[in-house]
Amino acid sequence: MTIPTAPLLELSTLWIQVTGTWCNLTCTHCLNSSGPHNPWLKSLDTDMVIRSIKEGAELGIKEIYYTGGEPFLHKDMLLLTAHALEVAPTTILTNGTLITEQVADHLAALAQNSPYSLEIRISIDDVDPEKNDRIRGKGAFSKAIRALQVLHSRGLLPIVTATEILRDELPEGSGMYEQFRDLLLSLGITKPRMKIMPVFSIGRMEGEGGPLLTPEMLDGFDYSLLQCSETRVVAEGGVYACPILAGLPQARLSEKSLKEAFKPCDLYHTACVTCYETGMTCKN
Amino acid sequence: MNREPKEYRRIAVCGGIYNNYLALEAALEDIRRREVEAVFCLGDMGAFGPHPDRVFPLLGEGKVLAIQGNYDQSLATGLDNCHCGYTDPRDNYFAQLSYEYTFRKTSHENKAWLGKLATHRRVKLGQYRVLMCHGSPRRTNEFLWESTSPNCLLEKFCRDFETDILLCTHTGIKWHRALDGYGHIINVGTIGRPENDGQVHVWYTLLTAGDDLQVEFIPVRYDHETLAREMEKEGLPSEFIETIRTGWWTTCLEILPAKERARGKY
Repeated sequence: MTIPTAPLLELSTLWIQVTGTWCNLTCTHCLNSSGPHNPWLKSLDTDMVIRSIKEGAELGIKEIYYTGGEPFLHKDMLLLTAHALEVAPTTILTNGTLITEQVADHLAALAQNSPYSLEIRISIDDVDPEKNDRIRGKGAFSKAIRALQVLHSRGLLPIVTATEILRDELPEGSGMYEQFRDLLLSLGITKPRMKIMPVFSIGRMEGEGGPLLTPEMLDGFDYSLLQCSETRVVAEGGVYACPILAGLPQARLSEKSLKEAFKPCDLYHTACVTCYETGMTCKN
Repeated sequence: MNREPKEYRRIAVCGGIYNNYLALEAALEDIRRREVEAVFCLGDMGAFGPHPDRVFPLLGEGKVLAIQGNYDQSLATGLDNCHCGYTDPRDNYFAQLSYEYTFRKTSHENKAWLGKLATHRRVKLGQYRVLMCHGSPRRTNEFLWESTSPNCLLEKFCRDFETDILLCTHTGIKWHRALDGYGHIINVGTIGRPENDGQVHVWYTLLTAGDDLQVEFIPVRYDHETLAREMEKEGLPSEFIETIRTGWWTTCLEILPAKERARGKY
């Protein structure tokens, strides 16, 4: 079967998978099977990240995202945040468990000194601590809530990112979005910010195959609705098409530079169907 | 055949009007006193406020040279939403209320007029090449907020689109940045809605070419209480009316980046 491809219409978003799949949690729905032991994708060294940011700036990117794994496991994460914020608005995707008062102080100072916005996205999957921790691990909920509070108290406005993994367990008539808003308001977070993401059949949720995109499905389709049309990801091994597929050989477009990854990418994975159907973007 | 863009020395530029015909009237009155050679509008005539059709005669009388915003495109082509580019459910909920009202209340003639507008306009301002767009030069509904528009992107826009001055609107909050060796990016603000700073006035931009470019953001005070009462009579959401009366945004907040969100009340 012919695998359809998506063109790179522009490079707007640079993702950096700074800690590979190294994480201090082992969430049951993790899309790249991150965890604490023997990560299959290794962390990037500091110089490599700085070079990628520099190249991104030369190419005229609009924003930078750090992801992993858990970015705050990287020994130079605060330094790398400073480098990113010199160039572009920056978002960090984190489970929040390592955001201490000291880290929050440092992040607040970086945000204050940059002309660009710093966004911290904290993953929580349910407003019920027990349900959340069933997915994300014991104690994950309370640590994430603590991170939200220490960031909020310093004038940073964290964004809660939730997947729909527990949507089926919601009581009749209640919406995830409202539940999280209510939770944040009850914590004294007066500007509650939310992002809800679908669950992808990949990583620890990888199923037995599933539907794939066909060239016919993409006939007349607006490719700008796919994030791979404006995104590239730097991770161990090279440059990849999107944050969901980062690290997978078929999604690798270059072993060297971002510029070399200015080429169409294969829409070969069942996860591509999720983006196609939902218009999902990993961006804020 | 390529025509040379028309050259000016002093121009006024308005951003989104959002049905706020009273603020537009006040802005045009103010502009008439400032000896400009032309008045431009960067699109989005509709949204938010009451009585969309009251905007169009004022644009004609004021000889306003307009380009098309995403709202105008949607109205002209009969789309089912405004394509503002919001991603959050709460933002989209209020945007849809506003769009359905404006769609229902805009005449066929005015929709057709919006459909004929160009999406970009080039002029010369003294020695400067000026490119006008609604959101960004590459996408009508792209948001160029001050805190999410890095210099590297703006320099690329100036290079790729061969301009010294880039004018945009769409976000609702004005800003200006001079780029070393490239030129100027100016988000001209909007006429339609105050800019989330607790002040009820709105803004337009005055540009004057001399040895340097002079950029002035001009506050426009208008009868916002009358507008608020008309919005009440039209059954528009109380959240919109609160914004007109207080200057604080109550809706379409989730699209704001951290820095801009932090400055507002909500």
